[in-house]
Amino acid sequence: MADNKNNSLLEQAADFSRPLLLSPAQDMKGYILSHLGRAFLFLITCTSVLSVLLIFVFIIKESLPFIFQGTWSASINRMWEFFTSVRWYPEAGQPEFGALTLFAGSIYVTFGALLFAVPTSLIAAMFLSDIAPFQVKQICKPIIEVLAAIPSVAYGFFAVLVVAPWMQTHLGLSTGTNALNASIILAIMAIPTIVSVADDAMSSTGRAIREASYALGATRAETLVKVVMPAAHSGIIAAIILGMMRAIGETMVVWMAAGNASQIPTPWWNLGSAVRTMTATIAGEMGETVQGSQHYHSLFMVGLILLAFTFMLNLCSEYFLAQAKKIGKGGKRK
Amino acid sequence: MRLGVRLLINNIFTYFSAISIVLMAGSLLIIIGPMICKGSGAIFFRSTVEFRELQFNMHNRGSKQALDEQKALAESARTPVYEILNHFKQGIDTSSLQTKVRENYRQYGQQLRFQNIDRNKFTEYRNQAKELRDELVAAYESVDVNEIRPHLQKVLDQANNALFQNTPIAEYFQFARDYQQIISTVDLRKRDQYAQELTKVQEQIRLLLGPQPGRGKPALAMDQYGATRMDRAKVVLDELMWTTQWVEIEKGKPLQKKRTPRAEIFAGTEMEKLFSYIEQNLNAMLLPKPAVYWQYLIDDSTPGHFFGGIGPEIIGTLLLTLLAIAFAVPLGIISAAYLVECAGDTITVRIIRICINTLAGVPSIVFGLFGLAFFVLYLFPLAGMQSKPCILAASLTLALLILPVIIRASEEAIKSVPQTYKEASLALGASNFKTFISVTFPAALPGILTGIILSLSRAAGETAPILFTGAVALGPIPRSIFEPTRALSYGSYDIAVGDRIAALVPHQQFGIVTALILLVLGLNICAIAIRWKLAKRFRGT
Repeated sequence: MADNKNNSLLEQAADFSRPLLLSPAQDMKGYILSHLGRAFLFLITCTSVLSVLLIFVFIIKESLPFIFQGTWSASINRMWEFFTSVRWYPEAGQPEFGALTLFAGSIYVTFGALLFAVPTSLIAAMFLSDIAPFQVKQICKPIIEVLAAIPSVAYGFFAVLVVAPWMQTHLGLSTGTNALNASIILAIMAIPTIVSVADDAMSSTGRAIREASYALGATRAETLVKVVMPAAHSGIIAAIILGMMRAIGETMVVWMAAGNASQIPTPWWNLGSAVRTMTATIAGEMGETVQGSQHYHSLFMVGLILLAFTFMLNLCSEYFLAQAKKIGKGGKRK
Repeated sequence: MRLGVRLLINNIFTYFSAISIVLMAGSLLIIIGPMICKGSGAIFFRSTVEFRELQFNMHNRGSKQALDEQKALAESARTPVYEILNHFKQGIDTSSLQTKVRENYRQYGQQLRFQNIDRNKFTEYRNQAKELRDELVAAYESVDVNEIRPHLQKVLDQANNALFQNTPIAEYFQFARDYQQIISTVDLRKRDQYAQELTKVQEQIRLLLGPQPGRGKPALAMDQYGATRMDRAKVVLDELMWTTQWVEIEKGKPLQKKRTPRAEIFAGTEMEKLFSYIEQNLNAMLLPKPAVYWQYLIDDSTPGHFFGGIGPEIIGTLLLTLLAIAFAVPLGIISAAYLVECAGDTITVRIIRICINTLAGVPSIVFGLFGLAFFVLYLFPLAGMQSKPCILAASLTLALLILPVIIRASEEAIKSVPQTYKEASLALGASNFKTFISVTFPAALPGILTGIILSLSRAAGETAPILFTGAVALGPIPRSIFEPTRALSYGSYDIAVGDRIAALVPHQQFGIVTALILLVLGLNICAIAIRWKLAKRFRGT
């Protein structure tokens, strides 16, 4: 009885008759299956690559009719006008496509936003990485996340219905929707991005350099400004670039709050005047233009410039983030 | 530098950095707080009888009997207003009186024709009536009281003429008596001014109390009811009681607001007491009562969002985001699994990573352009579908937008599963695939879920990508995914900037954006809570 039971158990436990090695056919099958599976996964992963390619291809394809139309000299003239003229009258009888004001508008609100956002967020990042106790950090992180999560249209709504009337009555500006208004709101939107990336960069510089600095008698402020910040400079630059990308690519806030007047402010430092950005132009005019018209293609051209610009900024930020990673690793190894 | 100064600087620095965080929290509160406060006014407010009537007529809510009782009550309080108004109008709005007088004369002529009298008599009677008519019209046209009195007297002299008994002409005598009374109180030289103000007063009273009973139903839904909410009624009342003018007090200075009571314009006339009557009896005329209008979240709205709710917007947003998630989640998780489990640090993988980061950095408006050029204008015609913006195109565009978010979050989640889990599974003889499906993926699931929830909130809030690919400001509830839809995000934009009618109803403006913010915030708080639990669990192991 007992023997029998043992035998059946043994049979259940392991099939000793099975060959230890797989047959060549089985081997082949497993090999092929696993590679096919990998290939399948790889193909799906390539969706992102494909979509980036498609985005570039289609934006370029739709803007080509604007770039090349008529003779070569006409095309060159049109491009010259596009980049240097300040007259943007796409729907006039004699349409003019001078997009310089749009570039200027984007640059105004973006740098205006950075002006407010960079100092605030760098100090906040230092606070989070070095000064705040753990509990405070736990509270601050969700606040920053929520600030980043609020939809841009809600920010735009706030800018138009709350900030704009306030500016008009309290600052004595002729219009409440202007570059200053958009800049402030964009700054609030860019702060979370800059804070979280800069915080990561500063935290990853490691304890060693901080302790070395303290050992030399530096105070915490001195350590942060003179040691940690230089050490984390590439991460901080990447953070600022990412914040800049957020600001320059933002549509709803500038469309609603920047005033949409295609002009370059005079005098040049006058943030209180209305401007019009590239994104707002696309959003505002695409709905009213005829598909296939020159105006339509010119808007794609503006989109292409925007895309190329953010793409370059993205590559820069990637380079700086890679640098920051290297420095972080180097600090740890020592 | 002295040590004391350095320490002082250090302290100042510490406080400044703390202040920056407080500033952030403060701006969060300043932005969200008032919007949610005002937005909740769309649901919680003091409703008037007009609101209850609207609810009954449009959605059959509430009981007919109670409504009728309330309406009768309100009606009795409103009658004096209309009485004063109509009476005063007789002295002012003379052009309509003149047409009425002429109309009566025409009727009289027709009546005579059927009475079968001989030709000479007919002409004689008619000429008599014509005389009276011309006297009355002359009285109405003049602004000089001394000129009017004889005209009216001539009409009234004929009051006992048996010829005009029981004919339309008999009404002339009543007109004349009324007018005689009016010219003794009203300064006729101000008639044009009165007429102008009167139309304004009538318009405000219509906004306050709805169309005058017995005058027919206006065509637009927004004109069919008076103020449905007490806060709106107060605003309308204020505009009724006061006139606002922008006057130049000093040369070269901006214009300043000057308010004068409207009653002053009507000083000395019977209209004067109308204003104090309305102010004192506002509650009796509108019967305010606290209401919780939760149906705001499911009701459709009248054009311009003047009345009603945001049901179609909410449905549209849910459709768009869920469809986008359905497209993006499988792609995202599989990509993340490949990147973590199968891929090394080869050049291909680096390119893939760069592409994912690029995709994350593409401005949302460019996504919108791409969606228009690729899905709407290229892919749909290729697949034999109609080339027009629709939910499908919008959600595909949104799917591309959130793909990098999901990939990154899933990658982090899969990476954070402890290596020991996988090793234990592999040691038991499970294959790589089996290990991923039954060990790594379940362990990473909460993290992946967080990523999905965050991308849901991102997709719900994005406006620019759906501008040209599937969002409309007005339109019916979509029947299929091949139709465009309304959405909370685009609706918020439209109601804040594009719509002139909506500017009259701030609670509607703030209501829609509050719904959007609360949706996004709720999703984010969910994600934060899941992550909190997760952090505890991994700390435990």
